[in-house]
Amino acid sequence: MSFVPGQPVTAVVQRIEIQKLRQGDKLILGFSIGGGIDQDPGQNPFSEDKTDKGIYVTRISPGGPADVANLRMGDKIMQVNGWDMTMVTHDQARKKLTKQKEDVVRLLITRKSLEETVSQSKGKNPKPCTYANEKQNLNDVMYTNNVR
Amino acid sequence: MPNDKYANMEEKLWILEDLNMMYIRQIALSLQDSDIQKKIDHEIRMRDGACKLLAACSQREQALEAAKSLQTCSTRIMAYMSELQRMKEAQVMQNVPRRSSDAGPMDERLPCKGKVAISDLRIPLMWKDTEYFKNKGELHRCAVFCLLQLGGEIFDTDMVIVDRTLTDICFDNAIVFNKASPGFELRVELYSCCSEDDYSAGSTPRKLASKLSSSLGRSAGKKLRAAMEPGPCSPVSNGGASPLLLPVPSVPGPKYHLLAHTSLSLSQIQDGFRTHDLTISGNEECSYWLPLYGSMCCRLVAQPYCMTQQMMSGCLKVKQCGGDPQSWTNVFAVLKGTSLFCYHRQEDVEANVEPAFTIGINKETRIRASEKDPQSKVQHICISNQYGGEEVTHTLTAESREDTHRWMEAFWQHFYDMSQWKQCCDDLMKIELPSPRKPASITPKQGSLYHEMVIDSTHDLSSTVSDILARRMQELELRSQLGMSPTWMSVFEENDTKPAAFPRQCNSRLSGHSPCSPHRRPLSPASPPCCPRLGLLSSDASLTSDSDSHCSTSPCCHHRGWPEPSLNFPLLSSSPFGLRPRTLSLDAKLSTLRGRGYGGGGGTFQCPCQPPPSSRLSPLPISSRSPLSQRSTQTTLSCSSSTSSNSSSNSEGSHSPESSEGVLFSRPSPARRSLRNLRARLDPRNWLQSQV
Repeated sequence: MSFVPGQPVTAVVQRIEIQKLRQGDKLILGFSIGGGIDQDPGQNPFSEDKTDKGIYVTRISPGGPADVANLRMGDKIMQVNGWDMTMVTHDQARKKLTKQKEDVVRLLITRKSLEETVSQSKGKNPKPCTYANEKQNLNDVMYTNNVR
Repeated sequence: MPNDKYANMEEKLWILEDLNMMYIRQIALSLQDSDIQKKIDHEIRMRDGACKLLAACSQREQALEAAKSLQTCSTRIMAYMSELQRMKEAQVMQNVPRRSSDAGPMDERLPCKGKVAISDLRIPLMWKDTEYFKNKGELHRCAVFCLLQLGGEIFDTDMVIVDRTLTDICFDNAIVFNKASPGFELRVELYSCCSEDDYSAGSTPRKLASKLSSSLGRSAGKKLRAAMEPGPCSPVSNGGASPLLLPVPSVPGPKYHLLAHTSLSLSQIQDGFRTHDLTISGNEECSYWLPLYGSMCCRLVAQPYCMTQQMMSGCLKVKQCGGDPQSWTNVFAVLKGTSLFCYHRQEDVEANVEPAFTIGINKETRIRASEKDPQSKVQHICISNQYGGEEVTHTLTAESREDTHRWMEAFWQHFYDMSQWKQCCDDLMKIELPSPRKPASITPKQGSLYHEMVIDSTHDLSSTVSDILARRMQELELRSQLGMSPTWMSVFEENDTKPAAFPRQCNSRLSGHSPCSPHRRPLSPASPPCCPRLGLLSSDASLTSDSDSHCSTSPCCHHRGWPEPSLNFPLLSSSPFGLRPRTLSLDAKLSTLRGRGYGGGGGTFQCPCQPPPSSRLSPLPISSRSPLSQRSTQTTLSCSSSTSSNSSSNSEGSHSPESSEGVLFSRPSPARRSLRNLRARLDPRNWLQSQV
């Protein structure tokens, strides 16, 4: 998942839909995030590229909504409900995830194992898709980030 | 310990001050004159505000302005109090049964009052030529201002910074005194204060400052010592009436000293510029010394009311001397200034129509009452003037005897006024009204001083930028939540020490610090339950130069009708700033209650595992229960304790994060901010994680 600054980023992504759980008067997702453009990327244990300032999932509460939705520790979050997460500060990312008025978050995440899955199954032709194209299958989606 | 003695003295002074205030109130009550008392109260509050502002200031300019306000307020208070005492004495004298020998002339004529204006003050300086052309070396700068006192009115000019590049001290203000009597004495006092940056004693605590002053070199130390201690002409001992009555609270900070003074009176009035001599106090050794040439140039004019207002008006019949004995003209006459204006009709006066004719009334005029008219039994009034060698006489007749009497009386009064006001009555002197100044020189100027963005140079740039961003962000939220005026917030945000920005919640703001932090902050109690633990905090109380906790009330007080500072202040921490609880004031009680209400709930926050950041951020509440906090479940304000304040009713849906490794944050509840935690959050050296 290394990127060249200024060039669009391409990654294999997976959509994950998480239903928030009500706990008290708050809606929680049940995972923790780390990273952000205002954070030190060198301390990110999950990133392959130590200059990657993206938002990563650092912890999943067992049995929580994220766990149920198959979010895994180490996933990099690319989008949250359509909002880009590759170039945001930590706080901005947290805010986008914790909007109390929304009870569902749809994440676009990427992980190393996805790449491997795709490359292993190179026989199939993965359909390249652009960023704006919303009608995708759950797997095998090529994610092109034109935001950069 | 000298510190104790100092505190003791201060306590005594405060008690004395309170007693004096009560005494004054009693006098005012007995005189049934609440006007002066209100004025005194107002000035005392202004003075307190100025003291606090002074204690809170870190920038030299602000401190100088605040000290100037302080000086003005003190002088005003003294003046009002003397007036009050005089009034009381007068009343007492009246009540004493009068002996005939004591009785002065009962019906003594009093001259009319007038306006006196002084403008374009200019004081030339006389630098040594070596000094003037010196290109290197530090610029010896002084801040100066003028205090002008006439009767009970005291005004100050704007402050001017003077250094050797100036040849004259110019004050552009035009100051107008109303209600001046002809025997007035306008006292002009020039105050100056050394404005060296290194010697700002405002922020250093006494111990440190004394150490500094004793360990500096001879000349520098001498200057510093002079700046710190009141000089030979300190404001308190400066010839004021009863210095113990409401003494000037000694606040560390720039102190103004009297440099020169002079007194102006009627004889100095001229419709032009005149030079007057100054009496200089102080000598070259003083830190506030400036080489004055010894004179002052200004324009002093007066407008007696007899020149500007209608002294008498009514219907008259005028007959010109030498004319037809029966040609009486009915006119509406107005006596004003140096003429008697005769209008055809009364309406003409308002309509600004030219008068039918004008009879000059000046010092040369002779007015006499002639013998009674045989038919109407009414006396005529003859006015004779010399017009170029010729004598012209006008004869006036009033409608009734009482009218005649009144007119004569008015003429006599007018003559008397003119004799008293002398040269002011020759011609109407022009007084330029000062352009609408910012209301009261006491309030700080909007804009320049307090809106300066100070970039803290002690941090590396990246963190500073994020600081500023965070502050801005937070300021917007705060503002919307509290509806506060931004100017005061920016005072504190730009303040070096960057304290909490809400005055009312200063009492309830908590700040903790990590054990490894080199900066120790003064701790303030969060809420009443914490108060008993103040004793524990004294050991932690820092002796840093931060006066952040103190400053938060003052400008707010200043602007918001004086909620007096409550008692919940860190008096236990180093408080050389003389913040004093006004025990007598109901306001104080009310604001205490209010402050406590605001402070409800919330504890300290600290990221225990943060490297010691310096506490420069505006606070953001962190509610967290980090694993480290488990060792300090009690909410003492010792290091690295944190309590969860889950009062986050934030619309963004923040909630307190669960503990995890690292530092956790949530959206601030309005009442809780912690500088340290936002700082830690934004410090790129950390890799933060948030629970969502």
